[in-house]
Amino acid sequence: MNQYGLSLWVVIIWVLGSIASQWLSLDISGVQLESILNGPSWQHWFGHDDLGRPVLERLLAGSYTSCIVALTVIGFSVIIGTIIGTMSAYLGGMFDLVIVRLIDIFLAFPGILLAIALAGIMGPGIDNVIIALSVVGWVGFARLARAQTLSVKQREHVQAAQALGSRQRKIIFQHLIPLISAPLLVEATFGIASVVIAEAGLSFLGLGVQAPDASWGSMIRDGTRYMLVAPHLVLAPGLALMTVVLAVNLAGDRLRDRLDVRAQSIKGEA
Amino acid sequence: MSRTANVGHCLITMLAAIVLLATLGCSSPQSDTVRFALASAPISLDPRFATDATSSRINRLLYQGLVDFDDQFQMIPSLADWQLLSPTVYRFHLRKHGREFEDGSVLSSVDVKATYDYILDPANASPQRGALVNIERIDIVDNDNVDFHLKKADPLFPANLVIGIVPANIIEQGEILNTRSAGSGRFRFVAWPSQGRLIIERRRDGQRIEFIHVQDATVRVLKLMRGEVDILQNDLPRELVHYLQRRDAVQVKHLAGNNFSYLGFNQEDPILKDHRIRQAIAYAVDRQSIIKFLLGGQTVVANSILTPDHWAGLKTAQAYAYNPARARELLQQAGFNAAHPLQLEYKTSNDPFRIRIATIIQQQLARVGITVNLRSFDWATFYGDIKSGRFQMYSLSWVGIKNPNIFRYVFHSQSRPPKGANRGHYSNALIDQLIDQAETSQDLDQRAVIYQQIQQTLLQDLPYVPLWYEEHFVASNDNITGYQLAKDGSYDGLQKLVKLSSRDSSQTSANVLSKRF
Repeated sequence: MNQYGLSLWVVIIWVLGSIASQWLSLDISGVQLESILNGPSWQHWFGHDDLGRPVLERLLAGSYTSCIVALTVIGFSVIIGTIIGTMSAYLGGMFDLVIVRLIDIFLAFPGILLAIALAGIMGPGIDNVIIALSVVGWVGFARLARAQTLSVKQREHVQAAQALGSRQRKIIFQHLIPLISAPLLVEATFGIASVVIAEAGLSFLGLGVQAPDASWGSMIRDGTRYMLVAPHLVLAPGLALMTVVLAVNLAGDRLRDRLDVRAQSIKGEA
Repeated sequence: MSRTANVGHCLITMLAAIVLLATLGCSSPQSDTVRFALASAPISLDPRFATDATSSRINRLLYQGLVDFDDQFQMIPSLADWQLLSPTVYRFHLRKHGREFEDGSVLSSVDVKATYDYILDPANASPQRGALVNIERIDIVDNDNVDFHLKKADPLFPANLVIGIVPANIIEQGEILNTRSAGSGRFRFVAWPSQGRLIIERRRDGQRIEFIHVQDATVRVLKLMRGEVDILQNDLPRELVHYLQRRDAVQVKHLAGNNFSYLGFNQEDPILKDHRIRQAIAYAVDRQSIIKFLLGGQTVVANSILTPDHWAGLKTAQAYAYNPARARELLQQAGFNAAHPLQLEYKTSNDPFRIRIATIIQQQLARVGITVNLRSFDWATFYGDIKSGRFQMYSLSWVGIKNPNIFRYVFHSQSRPPKGANRGHYSNALIDQLIDQAETSQDLDQRAVIYQQIQQTLLQDLPYVPLWYEEHFVASNDNITGYQLAKDGSYDGLQKLVKLSSRDSSQTSANVLSKRF
């Protein structure tokens, strides 16, 4: 636990906060005219926003939005990407060629731009954001899964399974995917960080959650208008976003170090 | 760990860039031109076509109309005074001085006729035509006199002749003034290098005014504080106005305005055609609190489209004070309660300030048990929906209303779009009759009484729930003096504005320096 340090704790707080936001009865849309733009105080740690709503409660609700989007998008992307990538590498031939070209096309196009275009076409809303980000998110996993599969599919245990007449599905799910899961897991943690940023970006542009629901991106957008008089409206969600993304990335780094056998052995020798 | 190191590098580079930019941007430009920040850019400098508020306000500086309004919104002569030859014939006599166009030629009755004939020709599709359809024909008497023949008598007819006069030769050439102006106003056109930058010059003394479009409110405030612009008017959240008020180098002035905000309803909606529902909404909206906490300054609760100081305005009226208990009672009577709540769709534009107000109204209506589904759209979609009657409830403003013929335009049952602006399809025989009666009455005092009766009836019947008249404010730097706000939010104050020249201020600083050393 110790070596994961602070970053893991931040991630745990983020996830717990988003779960808690569903259990606590938060009043995120209660307008209080008399506390409009009030600064932080002992009762309300992060002050109030432009409609007098408590920023802390909206921050918690926003953490739920970012968490649910990140987990769903990464979940979809990992499943779809891994299956497509592994099958492509394992089956080879024409199927592989088409998939590789498809991946190249997706990778050549800026992902966030494609997501903006998709969210724009489908209309704003959290479900459409999830779809848009998943559409661009699977590609990275597919490429990684394909490369990893290519390197392990010639191993003896796979050949043995083939010789024994195992079905392709069984080989892919039992003999290939478990072997390539470590790098995919690392990729997924970095993916979470970029999805959190992407969701905030789309919400900032008005394509994400719709009022009165809260998202860090939309909180920052609403706050920019009052930056001169109430900087806490931008600082609170901005710092939350930065901390979570940094923590997820650092945790991913640690995870990679831990799962990397060579790095471990060098450490052991030293 | 290389990823963390990269993040660190990025942060340092970003910080360095910010510091560099900040030091580069430290010198503010100095010039004698007055820079006026606008929230929206002017679209057209042709008074025959301009309808948006910014263009209309700038056109008032560049062009002159025949008639203008005083503080009580009574019509007064501008380019011309008038006399009634018969109930349906007005003779306008152009004043002797101050009617030169920008090219030096003198404005004559030919230009007046050409301008109005152009607008009246349906083929030209001028948006100004609607208010002028009562004109039968226009006859030139001589160079300085022109007769307007009407289809039917209208003692308030001159109030419609506020449109800027365009030179006849430009109309003959078929030019639309979308890149320059050609008026006879107090200002002349200098340059319009880009949509967001327009430079005009005061004829009297050559003082130049540069209108600069700065969309973002915070940026507008920052530019004012840094001296990149000298003056800005309206379109800021109240908090930013307070922020500016606390600056020593900035002066802020407020004035009660006449822009009327309201909630509009679809009268053909099965729920909203019930008078009790509209009343319940009027009682449920706490207008005083919204004004106190959100609008502030000189904003006042409204009862009618016309302000009380208008000559035909409603002087004393029993407004709908905030009364949630009464609202609940009325809803109950109309058959709605907690088990069977009233649900409404409320449309607004996607302007952040409008959404903010709409969210508060949504919350206040929720308190009496009305579930409001708030939908915000970009302006074009929203306005299109409103004009074609696709709404249950919406909020909007009437800007700069001076002529009481607005009641025919908005509430007469014959004024449904495209003929008028009765967008909620309001139909009330009494109102129709009173409007017709007011317009045929020849005596202005009697007219005022009938118009007040109309407003009293509308306040009872609530085709609109009147909200408030938003205030106007202007914020300027210390080197600006003499700018007076106008009730309709026009930029006419620029006629008397004085900018203490940068030479004065640089001399002052030179003096200070010489004293010090």
